[in-house]
This record gives sequence, C-alpha cells and structure tokens, in this order.
Amino acid sequence: MIYGSLESDSAETVFNVFKKKTGIDVDYWRASATKVMDRALSEYRAGKPLFDIILTNDNPMQIMFKEGIFAKYDSPAAKDFTKESIDPNLGPRYRNVVIGVVYNKSVVSPAEAPKSLEDLVKPQYRGKLVMPDPTQHTTTTQWVASLEKLMGKEKAEKYIRDLAAQKPVLVESLLPAAERVATGETPIAITYVKYAYIYGQRGAPLDYVRLGKMMGDGHYLTLGNKAPHPNAGKALIDFFLGQESMSLIAKLGEFVNRKGVYPPLPDADKIQFVEMYDLDSKQFAEKKKEYQQIFLR
Amino acid sequence: MSANERILAADPSLLSTAWSRTRIGSFLSQPVSWVFLLVGGIIGFLSLYPTFFLFYGSVMDAPLGVPGHFTLQNYVKAYGDPEAYPLLLNSFIFGLGAAGLSVIFALALAWITIRTNAPFRRLFELTAIIPNILPPILVSISWVMLLNPSNGLINGLFVKVLGLEKGPFNIYSMAGLIFVEALILTPLAFLIIAAALKSMDPSLEESAKTLGSGELGVMSRITFPLMRPAILAAATLNFVRAVESFDTPAIIALPARIEVFTTKIWREALGSFPTNHNLAATYGVGILMIALLFVYLYRRFTSQVESFSTVTGKGFRPHQIDLGKWKYLASAVAFLLLLLLVVLPILVLLLVAILPYYHVPTWQTWSNLTLDHFRYIWATPRVHRAFANSLFLALLGATVCMLLASLASYITVRTKLAGRGILEGLVFIPWAFPGTALALGLLWAYIDFPIPVYATIWIILIAYVTRFLPYGMRAVSSTIIQVHKELEEASVACGAGFLATFRRVLIPMMRPGVMAGWIILVTIFMREFSATLFLYSPGSEPLGPLLYFLYLDGMRGRVAAIGLVISVISVILIAIAQRYSHWDTK
Repeated sequence: MIYGSLESDSAETVFNVFKKKTGIDVDYWRASATKVMDRALSEYRAGKPLFDIILTNDNPMQIMFKEGIFAKYDSPAAKDFTKESIDPNLGPRYRNVVIGVVYNKSVVSPAEAPKSLEDLVKPQYRGKLVMPDPTQHTTTTQWVASLEKLMGKEKAEKYIRDLAAQKPVLVESLLPAAERVATGETPIAITYVKYAYIYGQRGAPLDYVRLGKMMGDGHYLTLGNKAPHPNAGKALIDFFLGQESMSLIAKLGEFVNRKGVYPPLPDADKIQFVEMYDLDSKQFAEKKKEYQQIFLR
Repeated sequence: MSANERILAADPSLLSTAWSRTRIGSFLSQPVSWVFLLVGGIIGFLSLYPTFFLFYGSVMDAPLGVPGHFTLQNYVKAYGDPEAYPLLLNSFIFGLGAAGLSVIFALALAWITIRTNAPFRRLFELTAIIPNILPPILVSISWVMLLNPSNGLINGLFVKVLGLEKGPFNIYSMAGLIFVEALILTPLAFLIIAAALKSMDPSLEESAKTLGSGELGVMSRITFPLMRPAILAAATLNFVRAVESFDTPAIIALPARIEVFTTKIWREALGSFPTNHNLAATYGVGILMIALLFVYLYRRFTSQVESFSTVTGKGFRPHQIDLGKWKYLASAVAFLLLLLLVVLPILVLLLVAILPYYHVPTWQTWSNLTLDHFRYIWATPRVHRAFANSLFLALLGATVCMLLASLASYITVRTKLAGRGILEGLVFIPWAFPGTALALGLLWAYIDFPIPVYATIWIILIAYVTRFLPYGMRAVSSTIIQVHKELEEASVACGAGFLATFRRVLIPMMRPGVMAGWIILVTIFMREFSATLFLYSPGSEPLGPLLYFLYLDGMRGRVAAIGLVISVISVILIAIAQRYSHWDTK
C-alpha cells in the first residue's frame, strides 16, 4: 500500500509495469501532500499504519521523518542519482516539482497573459486567478513563505497581501488549480508547470509563463518502519528509482533528477529551479494562522 | 398471624425485596425481555459511546490516539473567538435558506401532483423519488458544472444567446449553496408534506365549499392551516439536515470561502496541517447541540401532525381541484422542478462522462467524445475496491440496521415492557447526530478500543447502523401498527415462543415495511459521504470519498462516469428489492 501525492495516472503507469514484471499488486491511495502526511501520521500515532511506502514532497517527508515513521533503506538504484540529489534520511530525490503560472490560451491570449509573478497582482487579473489554499495546502504554504527568496522580505510581504487582495479562487491542491485552468473555469493558475504539458496532451489549450526562476520542491519515496509488506515495498522502491520507471515518468511531463533528461515541455531546460524553504510543524501552524488573516478575510 | 406474616411484620423491607425479586423474576422470565435487554444494550452502546467520546475529545489537550489532560481551552478557542460568530450566522442562514426553499419546492410539487388535475402529475411524482439514486455530492458537482461563473453550461448559454459579457449566475455564493442544498433536500420535504396532503379528510374542505368559500379561500383557510405542522416538521428536519450536511459545503462553500460548521470541522480535523481533532470535536459538540434542539422541535411538530391528523379510517380520496386552463401552468411549474431536480443534473453528468476533459462543448467537441472515463472504471483496482466496499456496506449495513430496527420497533410499539421509553430516548440521539460529529465521536471512541475496529471498514458500518437506525425504525413501526395483534396471540396460543412468533408471523407480516426501509437504507449507504469521509482508510475507501478525491483532483469525467454507474446499481438494487417484496406479499 502506497500513500502518495504523485498524480494517479503517472503513478499507475509505473505500477502497472512493476506488476507485470514482479506479479506484485500495488494499492495506490493518491491525495494532496497535506492529506498524505496527515493520514500517515494519524495512523502511525494510533499504532495502526497501513502503508508500506510514502511518496510525496520534501517538506512533509522531513516532518514525517522527524516523527520517526520511516525505515532506513538504501536502494541499490540510488547509485544512479547525483550525490546532491540524495537526502541522507530519505534517499534519492527522484523528481522536482516546479511551481509557476499556467494560463488558458483560449481565455487569455499570450499577449495579454502575465509576464511575471508581479503582473498577477495587476487589476486586470483580479478574480481570474486560482491557487491552492495556503492555509490548508502545505506546499503552497511553503511557496508563499518562500517568495522572499525571489523578491526579498519586504517586497514579498507586500506582494502576499496584494495577491490575497486579488481574491484568488482557493482550491484543495495544485492539481485542481490546473484543472480549473484547463476547463477555462478560471483562466490563470499558480500550479505545477508540468500541467501545461499534461493537460495539453488531452487537448486543453494551456501554456505557462516563462518566469525564469521558479520555486519548487523535491519528491521522495520512503519505506515505512512498520510497513506491513516491507520486502514488496523495497522491491517497488528499487524499480521506481530505476531507469525504466524514471524514463516513463519523464515522458509524462515530470522533471526527473537525471542529468540531461527533461520533460517534453517547451523551454523546460531554461527553467532556473529555486528550492523552497523547509518549514517545521510549528512554523506551518504559525504560517497557517498568518495566512488565514490575509487570505480568508 | 401466619409464620410468613410474622416474619414480614418483623422486617417490612423483606416485602419490597421479595416484590422486586418477583417483578425482576417475572420480567426476566419472558424471552422478549432478554431481547429487549440485548437490543437496548446494543442501541445504548451505539448511541452513547460515541457521544461520550465526542465530549471527551473536546476536553482533551492531546491529539487523537495520544493520552492527554482535561482542558476547556478548546471551548474557549472555538466559541470565545469572535470569528466563531460569522460561522454560526452562516450556518443558520444556510440552514434556514435551504430548509425554506426546499419546503417551497416540495409544497408546490406535492400540491400540484396530489391536489390538482394538472396533466402528467403522476410523472412529476417521480421527481421526488429519482434524486434518491444520485449521491448528493454529485448533485452539487453537476450544479457547479452548470452554474459556475466562468464556464458553467447555463451561464455559457446566457452569454451566447443574450450576448452578455459574463454569466448571470455564480454558484460559489451563499445563494448558490442554498439553492443546491434545497434541491437535495426537496425529496425529503416532499415525502412529509405529500403524506400529510394525502391523508387529509376532504370533508372539512367540502364543508367550507358548501358554506360558500372559493378554492383560494379553502386553500388559505382550511388546507394550509391543517398542513402547518407538516410544513414546520419538514422545514425543521431539513434545517438540521442542511446544517449537518457536508456534501454541498465541500463542493461549493470551501472554494467560495463560506465557512459553515461542517467546513470548519473538515478544516480542523482533516483539511489542513497540523490537524486539530480536539477543536474539531468541540465544533462537533456545537453542531450536535443545535441538531438535538431542532430534532426535538421536529418531533414536537410531528406529534402535532398526528394530533392534527384527519385520517378517519374511511376510504377517501383527497379532494381534487380543477385548475381549468391554469392546469398547464401547474404542469409547467412541476416540469421546471423536474428539470432542476433530475433532468439537468443527470444530463450534465452524462455529457461530462463522455468529454475528454470538462469544457463548454463546441462543434469540435462532438468529434472528440470518448468512453475513456468508463474504461478507467473498468481498469482501476481502486475503483473496483470502492464499489465492493460500498456494496458490502450497503447490503450488510442495511440488513443489520433493519434487523435491529425491527426488534426495537416491535418492543416500543407492541410491548408494555417497563423501560421501553428508554429505547425511544436512545434512538433519539442517532436521529439527531450529524454525520460529521458522529464520525469524530467514533474516531475518538474506537482508536483505543480492544477490538481492532479503527481504520477498518467496520467503523464505517457502525457509523451507518447507528446513524440510520431511526430511518429503519420509522419504516417498520408504521407496518407493525397495521399488523393485528390477534395473529401473534394465535401463534402464542399454538405454543410458539417469542422468537418463533417473531420469525414466522411478525417478520413475514412486516416484510413490506422492512423491505421499504431496507431499500431506503441501501440507497443512502451507497451514497453516504459526510461521516464516511472522516472514517475511511485507504483499504476501506467507499465510493463517497473516492468521488470527492477524484473531484478534488479535477477528474470530473471520471466522477461523472462513476456517479452514473452508482445510479444504475441503485436502480437495479431497488428493482430487485421491490420485485422480491411484491412477489412475496402476493
């Protein structure tokens, strides 16, 4: 049993190949990173963890690691990753998730589309923006808290208030934000840039703003220390981190951590990746409270 | 003075002890008493145990599953915060609006179909039954796809036809929230109001007419005053159901940033990090108190319905009003309600289920239609498991619930056992228990329970049986009243014991009521969402949470396809159950 925030379609593609090769069935429960972490921690504290593997973003993984829910497993597949991409506790960061601005070309023409993050707070985009709720969704809490890395502290503080004043539609996580743009329900989203490619494959007219620097987070998969099926879990981790699985995921639009492998997204190689701040549980609680005052008023 | 009398004179307390022993002895000598104790024990445990633990969670300072200390800080935080008042206000506006509007819809539909000569009125009666096969969460989702401000299909139509700059409707508003919840609650109000309208003695109306009143006068002076308790009962019950509902708020209130009780509980218990189950339990206690108060009022009103009852036992048909040429307008109104309650939600689901991704259809769309979403159902183990879990919960849950309900109804309606009033009182709690609050109570109750129920499908089954037992009891009680006592007496006279009489006489006679209750419960369990969302674990995920998470992930086509399959399964189950019930009673 795997709890993860990797999109079901991408995950199932890999798991189906894994099943064909090993005969091992994979149960995958997909939810936002916040829900994955909350469920895993609740089950662990109650002494009834049902998961073998957790597969989600860096920050929630670090929090779960501090709570002691993971087992140490050094996969032989880790040797194919660069040293910088291997976390001593969580193993290889198999992909990066890059957050940017995606828009629907049939509603907003490329000429009228925003050109920078600063443009999003201009009056013409008021009410046209969707983003995950930073008071609920941990990755977005991190993203908002890390804006000062791109803008400096003072400018970022003002920017956050201006962004909230635009009254963006707040949704559960980054995927529904992208889905709203794909359907045209809301024309512009703060979401993963890979969705411009993924939804584009299904016929949605999406593009992303070439921001240059974009923030994001790493993704890991780690074995639970009370995994009901530890050996099957290890086999899956080995396969997942291997060449075949990584190539499959990259083809589906993911930024995998292998040198020179880029997703089939235009200009993907020009994106300058900036890693977001890691927040601990206390900082999350503080930020959640702070953003409730700003975004939910 | 005999020896016994002398002993009693010396110690009079022996008399009362002996008398008690005799009473207890005679009570326990009847098999029905043992059944009463067993059923009472089970129902008492089901209702009181989670209630106690909901309070327990609200006064503890440690997270779920961790030992803690007593505190009142959660109450200070929840209700001392000025931000709690908009929450209360929003919940009341939402509840009152949805209850009021649903009663207006139901009253119009009931009056047109039962009391007028409007054409196709029998067809319109179906309007109140068909929505029961659609999960409420799907009704909310379909209205989002129809009325969202940017690309809702109805808004899109207005923009195209009238050349407007933007659509006139916004589902993400309090008005939108009330409208959709009212549509979901209309069938329930219709059942209460239609029953009262059907059972009304026409002689009162005929007398008024004889004395010179016109149709309008009869309606305003006789019909509606007689209907008032039923209308109040429907409104009160729907108020409670709206305030405790999470289906519509999850889909509309959360993105619209309208905070009501259930969204607040969701936010604290599940929606954000770090979660706070203690605070969620505190809000749960608040919503339980509101529900208990209003369910108490509902029961007062329903007892008035009975005292206002004009059913005389005479075979009569309600007086039918000849609307003349206005009958076509009446049909048009009923048709509009049929459109809102049934046709539009189902059509939009059908459309979205065959679109590659949700969008306003263009000419190009028709060449891109796909069955991929149905293939997804076929190919995905998570979906298969959810269907299996929901069917398991629906079939087993409804059966267990009806078994308990039959025994409990028999005891409360037919026996004169001391303490049967307690049983009625115990059933009152689940009747009022909001799904979200019950789920929180169960989480706290079963996390350290010696039998490993937490994080399994059994905790969901317990929630369903507890919460919906009163529905089953209501269905059976009405049938038991109609079964003449002579049949039981004849069985006993022939030497059958209680259990044999119950099994061989009462159950067959009660079968129509039991089957009716069973059908209602199966359809409810197939679409339950509010409690399930808090209780399920990934291995025991039923359809409600699956639909919600797919919706959150933007998989609207898959949601629509699964929703349609659920509806078809519900129709098949209803048809089988009805056929079996008819066949057997022939």
